[in-house]
Order: sequence, then structure tokens, then C-alpha cells
Amino acid sequence: MSAPLLQIDSLSASAGGTPLLHGVSLSVNAGEVHAIMGPNGSGKSTLAHVLAGRPGYLITGGTVRFDGADLLALPPEERARAGLFLGFQYPVEIPGVSNAYLLKAALNARRRQRGEPEIDAFDFLNLVRERMRTMHIDDALLTRGVNEGFSGGEKKRNEILQMLVMEPRLALLDETDSGLDIDALKIVGHGINSLRAPERAVVVITHYQRLLDYVVPDQVHVLARGRIVRSGNRSLALELEQRGYDWLLEAATAGA
Amino acid sequence: MKALERILSDFAAAADPAPARLAAAQALRTHALPTRREENWRYANLRALEAVHSFLPAPPQAASPALPTALPAALPGFSRLVFVDGRHCPEFSLPDAALLASLRGGKPRSNDDTVPSAQSAGDGRLGLIAKMFAPEPVTLHVPGRLALELVSIATGAAGGNYLELEVQLASNAQLDLVERHLGSAGPKGLSCLQLDLHLAAHSQLTHTRLLQGGPDALHYDTVAVRVAAEGYYNLRQVAAGGQTTRSTTEVRLGGRDARVQIRALATAHGPQVCDALFTVLHEAPGTRSDQLFRGIASDRAHVACSADVQVASGAPGARVLQSLRGLIDGAGAEVDLRPRLTINTDEVQAAHGATTGRLDEDLLFYLLSRGLSPSEARSLLKWAFLAEALNAIDMPALRRDAGLAAAARLADTPATELLQ
Repeated sequence: MSAPLLQIDSLSASAGGTPLLHGVSLSVNAGEVHAIMGPNGSGKSTLAHVLAGRPGYLITGGTVRFDGADLLALPPEERARAGLFLGFQYPVEIPGVSNAYLLKAALNARRRQRGEPEIDAFDFLNLVRERMRTMHIDDALLTRGVNEGFSGGEKKRNEILQMLVMEPRLALLDETDSGLDIDALKIVGHGINSLRAPERAVVVITHYQRLLDYVVPDQVHVLARGRIVRSGNRSLALELEQRGYDWLLEAATAGA
Repeated sequence: MKALERILSDFAAAADPAPARLAAAQALRTHALPTRREENWRYANLRALEAVHSFLPAPPQAASPALPTALPAALPGFSRLVFVDGRHCPEFSLPDAALLASLRGGKPRSNDDTVPSAQSAGDGRLGLIAKMFAPEPVTLHVPGRLALELVSIATGAAGGNYLELEVQLASNAQLDLVERHLGSAGPKGLSCLQLDLHLAAHSQLTHTRLLQGGPDALHYDTVAVRVAAEGYYNLRQVAAGGQTTRSTTEVRLGGRDARVQIRALATAHGPQVCDALFTVLHEAPGTRSDQLFRGIASDRAHVACSADVQVASGAPGARVLQSLRGLIDGAGAEVDLRPRLTINTDEVQAAHGATTGRLDEDLLFYLLSRGLSPSEARSLLKWAFLAEALNAIDMPALRRDAGLAAAARLADTPATELLQ
């Protein structure tokens, strides 16, 4: 059996002197979808941002291997070029830089990494328009500033559009479902599913299991107080929906 | 000898008795040069004037064979006037019938024209130097429509580059005026300009200024604008050149419902200093002003902008918008923004804001997480910062030139796709 696409071993991290992750271990194989659930402040977003290389976190222990390489040794842009994509919970607005420009720059950064030539304008437009149709995004958004004036739902769909254009090996989606109405949730779910492939993996971070009705995970993990306290299959998400997190927090406290 | 004494001494040596010049010299002698102790000049680099070797106008130059290639491509539909060190170069100008008519229609300078504007006693004092020395003052009378590009080139030859331009727009006239100030990469050269713009009722002036002096140039300009009833003055200013640039703009909204919109940006790098003062005087009911400034100081440069809006008691119903933002992009860089709003009447709508900061780390990380390099991401964010001011330039060719100049000033190379 081949090595996992993502292998996290005993990862600990802090920010501003406060420990946030306490020995997280997780193994994600190519072709799999994992869901990470947990209450507010459990470290879900921290884990995603640490993996993506956001400055401000201090790695205090552990290792992360991505596609066989030491992920933590890479700066954020090289992690992205290597095929790691972070879908932001709160996508930023960048007026003055068009969506089209950013999409093309991001795609070409990936292509250069793979030793491919930069995409020409015609092929780029064809590709983007096809992906935009998948995400039910209007062509006009292409020329607007990145997320400028977008609704919350449009921003989330735009994140998935970027993911579909960049075709990452591993997508970390940080609460991509938050703030979405039921129709947008279906579209986002469809977009994520369209990326599923044997060579790729997706890690969905969410509070609720409703996204998992559309994006069915192979494994579900519960992160609480900076550590994974329970892993299981999809039925774990349904159980959490019924019972909440308290019972797991108590177990985590007892085991700490 | 101090700069003021040398200016007056050089003027005396020039022995030009024209009354308007003498009046300007007398006004300068009376009111003296501004100093950094004055509120509106606190950040201006006036010390550079002390280092000017000679204030006399640069002598006439034989047309340089390199000049045509230094000229930017002509703007479609625009006539062009080219000045080198303040002297008209007809061989490179592209006058059309409308321009020739406007030049003929300009009120000639006469002995009556001896009293400098009220601004000359205040923040317009540096403009007096241009009035004293400009070798070929130009007066334009625009009765209808005119699109004019004025290119001023400072060769950096010994002596100053002085330009004085007066434009009179008749009622309902429309002028699209593009000013480009270019400079050689040679030794320090002084450029000093005075522009007087008179907009009669219902007239409209779109005024695009690209200040791109050479890297060692000293550029001081004074723009005085008078807008009559329902006139509209539309200023786009890009300051992206020179070791020292100081722009002093005063817009007087003297007629009912007169309007001004200002979109200005400034970029500076290394030891450069770029300072601007925009004063808007609301003097009539229903007048409107809308000012936006974006400035980036990189390395150890200094960018400053003062925006002073005064609403007189006779200007009820005035509307004022003011947005000033600065970006500090270097450990030794400095940005000073000073919005000021003085309201002497009731029934005014006003909104203003000023912020200065560094590149947003969240935005930077977002771009890095999409695979862009740190330098590419920083460049893109600086570009985004300037875009609001830059995009106010309607003509794509001009916007592109302005963007490239602003970026070059930051030692940056923006993706040309962003300039479309």
C-alpha cells in the first residue's frame, strides 16, 4: 500500500505563547474524504492554517509529511504549488485585483511547479468558464475584484471555484459550509465532489453534519481542545448531530 | 545666500521688466518663501531649494535628437504642445485647429495683468517663481471642446524649467487636458509651474496630470482653479517622479452647484519626498467636492498629503467627501496624511477618513496560499491599493502609462494584465 498523501504525527503548535494543538495525528490517503468536526475553539481552523503555513504559529512538536515531503519545511506558497489548497472560512476581499487575474496566476503557479507551460488566454477562459458553470457563478464575477462586494455565499463558492481551477492534491476546506443556504450548500457540495479523484484527497472542517449529506466522508474525526479525541465513519457525524460534543469533551478531559 | 535672496538676485540679473514678472517678484519679496514652520508646508522638502545652483531659466537647447523617442505616443484625438525647459518646441507639437483658435483667443498678458492671485500671498508662493521666470507663458481660451496634451520636459540643464499656463474655459466649454512632466535622468533640475484654470458656468475640465520628473529632479507646482456655477473640475494626478515633488492645488468653488472631484496617487522610493496639498473652498450653495488620495512610501521615502476643505457660511447644502489612505512599505518609510474640514454653515453633508498602515498580513497570506510568490503578492497588493485612484483615469493608454510610472517608482513590476 502506498504512503498516505498527508501524514500528521503528534503535531503541536502554539500562538502568542498559548498552546493550541496538542499532539494531533492524522493520516489521509489519496482518494479519501475526511471530515474534522468539533466545537468552537477546538483547534480546527488552527490545524488548517498551520498546515497551509500561515505565519504566527509556532510548531512545538511533531511532523507533517505531504506527498512524501516535509510540509512544515516549506513556505506557504510552495505548499500551495505542491498541491495543498486551503479554502478560507472568511475569504478576504482584494479590490483592484480581478478574479480572473488571481485565478490565472494561481493556476500558472501550479503548472510551473509541475513543469508545465503557462496556460494561454483562450484555454484559461474555457477552463474557468466550465468551472464557473459547475459553481453557478456568473461570468461577470470574473472581472470584478477578488471577492469584492460578494455575498457570503458567493465568497464560499468562489473559494471552491479557485480550488477547481487549481486542481490541488489535497484540499483543506475550513467551514466552507458556514453561512450557506441550502441551495448554495448543494452547489458547494457538488463542486467538492467534482474534484474527488483517486489521486486527490479532501479534508472538510465543519461544525455540522449537513454538508456531509452531500460530501460523504470516508472518515470523521472529532477535534477537541487541540487533540483528536475520536475517529470513526460517517455514523459518528450523525451521532454528534444527535448528542452534541459534551460527551466527547468529558472523555477528552478524563483522558488528558 | 538664502534661496529667496538668490532667486531675487537672479531675477534682477535677468533684467526682464515685464510688469507681471515684476509684480510676482515683489509679491515674493513681500511674502517670502514658505517654511516648514508653516502648517501646510511641514512635510515639504524646501531645503532642496537651497541647493539649486541657479534659478535663471535654462538657456534654449538645440533640439535633442533623442527627444522624439523620449516623447510618449500621441493620444488619439488630442492635440499636443511640447515644451522643453519651458520653451515651446513647435517641431514636436501637434496643434489642431481647435488648439490654434484657443491660443489665438487667449487674453494676452498686459500691463493690467500685474496683480498675482490672492493665492500668491499664501500657499501659492512657489508659483511666483514660475511667474517670474517662465520664458513663454501660455494663455488658452477654450470656447467649445478641446482635447490637449501638454508635455513638459526638463532637460536638467543648468537653470530652471519654468512653465506658466492660464486656461480660460468659456461657458459650456469642455476641455480634456493631459499634462505630462517628464525629466531626464541627468543632474538635479528645478521645475516650477504655475497653472491658473478658470472654469466659467457649466464648463467642464478633466485634468490628468502625470508627474514623472527624473529621479533627481525637484518639482514644485501650483495649481489655482476657479469654478463658476455648475462647472465641474475633474482632477486625476499621479505623482511618480522626482527626488522632491510638491504639488499645491487650490480649488475655489465659487458658483452655485460647482463641483470638483480629485483622484490623486503618489508613490515614492528611496530618499524621495512627495508632498501634496489639496485645498477646496466651498463658497456657494450646493457645491460638491470629492477627494481621494492613495500614497505608498517604500524603502525610506516620505509621502505626505494634506487635504483641507473649507465650507464658507454662504455655502449651505455643500457635500464633502474625503478619503486619504497611505501605505508604508519599508522600515524607514513615512506617510503623513492630514485631513482637515472646516465647516461654517449648517446643512452640510460631510464624510471623511484617513488611514495609514502596512500591507495587510491576511491579504498577503491569502495570495501566498494560492501559490503566488511573496514579491508577486506584495506587488499585487500595492497595485490593488492604488487601483481606486488609478482607475479614475478613463483613457486606457494613459492609465497604463500612469500605472507603469507609479510601479517603476516603487521599483516594482506589476503584471501588465492589471493595467488593461
